[in-house]
Amino acid sequence: MVITFPHMGKMYIPVKALFDELGVDIVIPPKISKKTLEIGLKSCPEMACLPLKVTIGNYVESIKRGADTIVLSGSCGPCRFGYYGVVQKEILRDLGYDVDIVILDPPKEGMKEFWERVKKISGNSSFYKGLRAINKAFKVCEETEKLLQLVLKKRCREVHKGDTDRIFNRFEEKIRRVKGAQEILDCIYETKKQLENIAVDNNKRPIKVGLVGEIYTIIEPYVNLDIEKRLGDMGVEVHREMSVDGWVKFHLAPDIKFRRRQKRILDEAKDYLGLCIGGHAWETVAHTLNYCREGMDGIIQILPFGCMPEIVAESILPTIAKEENIPIMTLVVDELTGEAGYQTRLEAFVDLLHLERSRKENESGKVLSWN
Amino acid sequence: MNIGIPRALSYFDYFPMWQTFFNHLGFKITISSPTTKDILNKGVSLCVDDACLPVKLFHGHVAALVGKVDAIFIPRLVSVSPGEFICPKFIGLPEMIKNSIENLPPLLIFNYNLHKDARDKKDAFKDLGRQLGVDSRDVERAYKEAISRQYIYEIMLESGQNPLAILHPKENWDKQEHSKGVIGIIAHPYLVCDRYISMDIVRKIRLKGYDVKVVANIPQKTIEDNLEAMPKRLFWSYGKKLLGSGIEWLKGNEVDGIIFLSSFGCGIDSFVEELIRRFNARKHRLPYAVFTVDEHSGQGGFDTRLEAFIDMLEWRDKSGYNLSSHGQDVYSG
Repeated sequence: MVITFPHMGKMYIPVKALFDELGVDIVIPPKISKKTLEIGLKSCPEMACLPLKVTIGNYVESIKRGADTIVLSGSCGPCRFGYYGVVQKEILRDLGYDVDIVILDPPKEGMKEFWERVKKISGNSSFYKGLRAINKAFKVCEETEKLLQLVLKKRCREVHKGDTDRIFNRFEEKIRRVKGAQEILDCIYETKKQLENIAVDNNKRPIKVGLVGEIYTIIEPYVNLDIEKRLGDMGVEVHREMSVDGWVKFHLAPDIKFRRRQKRILDEAKDYLGLCIGGHAWETVAHTLNYCREGMDGIIQILPFGCMPEIVAESILPTIAKEENIPIMTLVVDELTGEAGYQTRLEAFVDLLHLERSRKENESGKVLSWN
Repeated sequence: MNIGIPRALSYFDYFPMWQTFFNHLGFKITISSPTTKDILNKGVSLCVDDACLPVKLFHGHVAALVGKVDAIFIPRLVSVSPGEFICPKFIGLPEMIKNSIENLPPLLIFNYNLHKDARDKKDAFKDLGRQLGVDSRDVERAYKEAISRQYIYEIMLESGQNPLAILHPKENWDKQEHSKGVIGIIAHPYLVCDRYISMDIVRKIRLKGYDVKVVANIPQKTIEDNLEAMPKRLFWSYGKKLLGSGIEWLKGNEVDGIIFLSSFGCGIDSFVEELIRRFNARKHRLPYAVFTVDEHSGQGGFDTRLEAFIDMLEWRDKSGYNLSSHGQDVYSG
């Protein structure tokens, strides 16, 4: 049994740690490229959301490298993601790939099935070994996210353009070659040290932008045209609350402090949206409000075209923008998103934020130290 | 008090229930007029661009009621059956309306959520009664009356009645005497029952001499049975109906051809249509066509495609098809 899984940002790092510890063979799908997307476009329904198309490409590329089992998390919410597994299995079957898709639905959908599936993909490891592997994977997940957050902080302040990305790209190349959670952690710590040593301009007060929206499009750089890097290169500090680590801490690992904080953020949004409508729409609205409180200069919402829950959030955000007096931009991405237009919109938005900030500071009589 | 009900989305499924409830409590109700071009255009301009056609249309119907009524009834259908949902946009509908339309009268939000338990049905009506400020005993009576009317409506549909026949009783919707066959339309009720956005497809097919079956005609039991074979339970109530009736019709006993009528941007249709199309292509090979409508759809193109589909159906029985339709070898003479 060789397992593969879809890409979602840097999620492959903790997943690799987990399966390495369990002693199960895996194929990490190649980095998402235009070719990956093309495979998906040819075989997927036109109106399906973008993640479905990209992940089909991931599977096919992994199957060609020897994978025979696909692991996918499931859900039974109103969002389409919950039915990905079934539709993708049919698509792969018609493409001539007879592979096993293991969908990890929440245990409440059937405890027995859940355990059977977990047992199947864990290579019949003992309970103790499994628990230890999961624990280590959680740790890797947390450290990976810390590293990513550090990258966000450093990129906008670096003195020599490209330092941060050079170090991070080297890290990504290296991580595919190491084996086991400990080696991955060492690799992360080493990169962290390197990042901390790069020359930064500490006096800079960068424009702060909060990212909200559908989790896959926020986290996966190929799909959002690497928005974090684009903004970082313009000298913008990007804040991103949504992460794999956050999802794990909220849904899987009992991190009470983190959960309480998230619950509070969600509760504060109840004037605008007070219940889960599937996907991450509630989080989008709640995080937008939270970013306003935290003093962001602007907020960008990203969603894949046709995303059902985010459309509801999209119609709520203009009211928040008006009431909180903060610029909010919505970017809809799909396979036809053009790079130049996207870049122009980002640049225009950042220009607007600069203007807003200087206007606000002129009003309050502050001296502008940075221009 | 005059309560406005938008003639869109879940109206076509639940109007007997709502009408009875309000009438029994002595409220006057105003239903927005059937869709017109103005209503659609208004909806498109008010709603966010990425929403699907029916949601945009709902915005239009709400806007058409603004200024004419004292309160507008907005259903928030979270779930109509335990463990299932409808669509995220149905759940967030009141929020979408509140944030997109200005000068709204007070909204009566009907929070219908049977996700945990089917017995929570009453809570939605009690809550509505509180919003209206009526006595709880009156609410109880009105509720009983409402659900029995709804039950009758559903029985009528399951017995094969066309929902349009109930909505437009003055026209003739009877089974045709010299019917050439039956065409099944897989579509959300809010599409097929709205004669403007569905381009009056039911009437057009009937004029060609075919009878029409819609999803609402398939009993819930049959749908559940057909979905047993799916590897994972489907958690959309409408999705279940579409897929379950699609599988039923693919068996080939009830209909001669299937039309999937979908609105551009419908998330659930994109998955359900894909599954039905793949099942059909693999095994059954029934005549099958997908019609997608949106605010730019032209009447002419739609009609041409419909005619072509029906021509194909007829040719298949004659000579357009190289294989004999009676299962005999073509070359045997």
